[in-house]
Amino acid sequence: MTTSETAIGSFTPVPYDPELVDGLAAFLDLVEIIPLRADTILANRAHFATIIPPIAAQAEGRAVTFQDRVIPGPAGAPDVEITIVRPATASPDPAPAVLSIHGGGMVLSTRFFGTPELIDLAERHGVVGVAVEYRLAPEHPGPAQAEDCYAALVWMVAHAAELGIDPERILASGQSAGGGLSAAVALLARDRNGPRLAGQLLGCPMLDDRNETVSTRQYDGIGAWDRNNNDTAWTAIAGADRFTDRVSPYTAPARATDLSALPPAYIEVGAAETFRDEAVDYASRIWATGGQAELHVWAGGYHGFHGFSPDAVVSVAANAARESWLRRVLHLDG
Amino acid sequence: MTVTAAGYPTVTPVPFDPEVQIVLDAIALNPQPALTRETLPREGTDAMFPDNDTVIAGRAIDWEDRVIPGPAGAPGVEITIFRPRGSSDRSRPAYLNIHGGGQIVGHRSWETGRVVDIVAEHGVVAVNVEYRLAPEHPSPAGLEDCYAALLWLHAHAAELGVDRDRIIVGGGSAGGCLAAGVALLARDRQGPVLAGQLLLCPMLDNTNTTVSSLQYDGIGTWQREANLLAWSCLLGDELAFSPEASGYAAPTHAVDVSNLAPAFIEVGEAEMFRDEDTQYALRIWATGGRAELHVWGGGAHGFDMYMPEAEISRAALAARASWLRRIWGA
Repeated sequence: MTTSETAIGSFTPVPYDPELVDGLAAFLDLVEIIPLRADTILANRAHFATIIPPIAAQAEGRAVTFQDRVIPGPAGAPDVEITIVRPATASPDPAPAVLSIHGGGMVLSTRFFGTPELIDLAERHGVVGVAVEYRLAPEHPGPAQAEDCYAALVWMVAHAAELGIDPERILASGQSAGGGLSAAVALLARDRNGPRLAGQLLGCPMLDDRNETVSTRQYDGIGAWDRNNNDTAWTAIAGADRFTDRVSPYTAPARATDLSALPPAYIEVGAAETFRDEAVDYASRIWATGGQAELHVWAGGYHGFHGFSPDAVVSVAANAARESWLRRVLHLDG
Repeated sequence: MTVTAAGYPTVTPVPFDPEVQIVLDAIALNPQPALTRETLPREGTDAMFPDNDTVIAGRAIDWEDRVIPGPAGAPGVEITIFRPRGSSDRSRPAYLNIHGGGQIVGHRSWETGRVVDIVAEHGVVAVNVEYRLAPEHPSPAGLEDCYAALLWLHAHAAELGVDRDRIIVGGGSAGGCLAAGVALLARDRQGPVLAGQLLLCPMLDNTNTTVSSLQYDGIGTWQREANLLAWSCLLGDELAFSPEASGYAAPTHAVDVSNLAPAFIEVGEAEMFRDEDTQYALRIWATGGRAELHVWGGGAHGFDMYMPEAEISRAALAARASWLRRIWGA
């Protein structure tokens, strides 16, 4: 590992899996057509609004129902919108549940970026999902995002009976910013003696405002969610506190000094992306405390590869490994 | 948690997966005496596991024992070749397997099951190599034997029906160490260009200073004590735990890990090699090299061998097969 002052430009990136190259190009064309900079955050939000299908379209023909709700936000903060995704046929037994936290660098996107995963889980495993609409930065600096997500978790547990869920089998889950926020929710739940999560699913998680690992240097100007996009987002989230110890661990979980006694983590990331090293470091620090973190770093994977290039051999394997972990932590059948 | 009464880990270990724990508990009911330098098993180790035909169990796989030239000035090396029966009209990828056992115990026949399964699943030719063990033959004798097998496989590719551009070297535990060493040697001697290195719970670091090396002191499979003995036998008392040890013997000390064959690194979360294996992947990536890393939740050392029916073992084997398919195209 190296320090942030090492010469930029001397970092050779890990190459992409050849089977992912076309998918990456398509991702960049569709999702990251506008480089994310301080003055393009609003333009990116407008763009995202055009590429995320409405929930009704996502759920069409699928064996699920969905329902929007407004639930209490954190103390002194506005209410929080959620969407509940349920299997069309409710099980008589309490269902496993997933709190879905969407990606988008904590500055972009909506909860409907994460609902496709909930629809899949509802169909395949009878999971009841809650997708949470958290406040975005820079209008709402961190840790407003984590607080909103935590409020949703508290609400889920308090309404477990109404939702038909098993409060012992709730997972916090998300990709990218949603992975970082899932880690933050797990920290909050531990520190406030809150709900006991069954697990935290951290997909290519955004964990560290410092942006100084080797992998953040290797993907500077290349790839999906490159160093510059990440830099823009963290400055929007952390403002003047960025790069200091004043950044809350609930904003940047890598800042947490104690990673013990957390729920089991599943950490997955591509080997060819910005967040690779911070994800590995987070797992290593959990292990050092005796905590559980299953780690998968997929060869040649770009940021979010398995969602955008689902048919590549590496993506099929990534999806199968995650399914295996879900079976183990949620005690799913089959 | 504790598997033997002898251990007192000073650092809280990551717990074992529940299915893994059941098997560890069963193993603990029949405790084996600790390995010592004086009692390392040698006689009869080639007959402890089922023979080739029993393992093949009717699958269309042929096998053949051969003795090939060893390293310069050293004895010949025994190998077993496994290949799919028939259809020798096309060249196949190849797998060079290096068995585990700390480089102080074991025999290639202990891993016939793993090798035959790979041959059956991927339709490749496999060579399983018998290398010299320490302390009778300290480092780098075993490594040079394995490298000699790679040279032979590469030189005899046409005869064997092997595509020499698709050779993967691999192994578990000590075999992972030797496979990583072979990959380093092949690069540094401008030897065969490997298609990949399959490093399963590899033993890579002789210093035994990582957190995980302290967490599995007296618990689990392949405990700290056995690892200390293995490195002592391999490197001698002076270099046993020294960072001055050769990077070919202890690949964590390789100064340069760039331009290596793509690596697959798999390890259990609940074992002593977890941290050194993770570090090795990080160092490869930092050079722009290719590595896939899997750290399976609650896995003990060699979990896929000890508890093949566990959910994590099946998932690990699937991920492994996926990587082999990506590298071999088969």
